[in-house]
Amino acid sequence: MHTNAKKTASADLSAIIEGLIKADVKFILVGGLAAVVQGAPVTTIDVDIVYNRSSENVSKLFTFLKSIDAIYRRPDNKIIVPKKEDFSGMRHALFSTRLGPLDVLAFIEQEKTYEDLLKHTVEIEFRGHTFHVLNIKTLIELKKTSKDPKDKQRLPVLEETLRQLENEK
Amino acid sequence: MAEEIKTQNSSGVDKGLVAMFIKMSPEQRLKANDNAIRAILELRNAYQRQKNSKCRPKRNN
Repeated sequence: MHTNAKKTASADLSAIIEGLIKADVKFILVGGLAAVVQGAPVTTIDVDIVYNRSSENVSKLFTFLKSIDAIYRRPDNKIIVPKKEDFSGMRHALFSTRLGPLDVLAFIEQEKTYEDLLKHTVEIEFRGHTFHVLNIKTLIELKKTSKDPKDKQRLPVLEETLRQLENEK
Repeated sequence: MAEEIKTQNSSGVDKGLVAMFIKMSPEQRLKANDNAIRAILELRNAYQRQKNSKCRPKRNN
């Protein structure tokens, strides 16, 4: 039997992204890994995604989560597996998986959903597929309004990354 | 005398490190992050093992 503690002992965040793409899940990569993908030299230990809440997409997401042994991430070691109906509301679901931590979000700051964020994404090519990543400019704008001190701490690195990316153009 | 190159911006961000990451492909950046996590977990485990071994009472033979 696995526990939360054992699951955090390994991570392959690239495999989570690849798995989501192959499972044909509609998602936008947000958070620290979105910054990493666009060139920010930061390290993050989880994948944060905002997902499309259509019934078809939730089914695909749920099947994918089962395939990577997702269980709710909790301070105790209680094992609670997700149910499909958990994704019908505007909720966040934070998981431990055999590939590493995965945060499945219905929305992010200012209650922005998949549909709201899609126009603020860049398409990234990865292992022969493409996926949507929240652009660094929007990431910075959202982090500025965040109350999380970790977000504020990262802002100067993200701003420098954006500056250098814009100079490259 | 060697020319002094400003490597940090006013917020203390390492501009060279940012430039190095920007030159990588998205896949290389994800791999670098995965490698960093593995290294962090390995170091944490090593630290935990050492801490546990120090806590264990010594046996008197």
